Amino acid sequence: MGDLYYTHVKLLADDVLKLTPSPTDSSSFIFKGKRLSRAETVGIVVTRDFKPGKFVKFTIDDGSGCITCVLWLNQLNSPYFSRRNPSDVRLIAQVATSFASDVQLGVLARVRGRITGYRGAVQITASDVVVERDPNMQILHWLDCMRLARKCYNQ
Amino acid sequence: MATSAVSFGALVTLKELNPSSPHFKQEASLRVTGKLQEYDLETAIASISEGNASLKIDTQHLKVNLRIGSLYQFIGELLIDTNNEAILRARVGRNVDGMDLNLYHQSLQLLRDFQAEQINSRTA
Repeated sequence: MGDLYYTHVKLLADDVLKLTPSPTDSSSFIFKGKRLSRAETVGIVVTRDFKPGKFVKFTIDDGSGCITCVLWLNQLNSPYFSRRNPSDVRLIAQVATSFASDVQLGVLARVRGRITGYRGAVQITASDVVVERDPNMQILHWLDCMRLARKCYNQ
Repeated sequence: MATSAVSFGALVTLKELNPSSPHFKQEASLRVTGKLQEYDLETAIASISEGNASLKIDTQHLKVNLRIGSLYQFIGELLIDTNNEAILRARVGRNVDGMDLNLYHQSLQLLRDFQAEQINSRTA
C-alpha cells in the first residue's frame, strides 16, 4: 500500500474526529498508523458562520459525526498570498467566494481539504466544496468509505 | 481530539423509531427520512411517513419549500410529550426526491455493521 499522505482520504466523520496529530510532523495526522494530511467528506451542512472577506466556517453532518470545515476568503488581503501573481490570487479568491455562496444550510456538500487542528479539535481547511444535487451521493460516500477502510486503509 | 459542538443526527428509520428504540429519547439528535404526508401552514407542523410508520416534524425554523408526496430528510432533536408522542424539532431539512430508499436502508445496515466492527477491533 502506497503512502496516503497526499491523498484526499475519504473518511466518515466518526473517523476524522478520532485522528490524532502526528508527534513528529505538525502538518500530519495519524489514522490506523498511517500519516494523513488531507481528507474528503460528504454530508449535510448543519451550521454556517459567514464572515465576508475572512472565512466561512460550517459543519458537515454525515450521519456518523459532525466535522467543522473552514473555507478561507481572505486571499486578497492575506500576506500569505502577497508574493503570488495578483491575477492568480484574484481567481483563487473568486473561486473561494463562489464555494462560500454554495455552502448553505441543508445542502449536501462534498468537501476536500487539509486536515488541521484548532483549539484541540480536528477540522478540515477546505480547498474544494461541491454541492451534490443527487441525494444518493451520501450513500455512495458511506459505501466508498467502508470499502476503502477495509481494502485500502487497513492494509 | 475534541469533537464538534453540534450533535450529529443519528441515522434512524421511522419504523425503528418507537418507544423501545434507544434513539427514542428526549432531545435525541436524529436524521429521519420519509414522504411528506401533511403540512399545516399555520403551525408549520409536517408529517412524514415510511410504510406504516410516521413522524411529526416541527418545521418552524426551516426555510424549505415543502411539497406533499415528496421525499424529505430532516435533522433535529426529538421531543417526547407526556403521552409518549414524539415530534422532531427540525434544524435542517432537504428534499431528497430521487433517493433510492432501498439502497439507503441497506447501506444504513452496512454502516452500522461497519461501525460495530470498528469498535470491536479497537476493543479486541
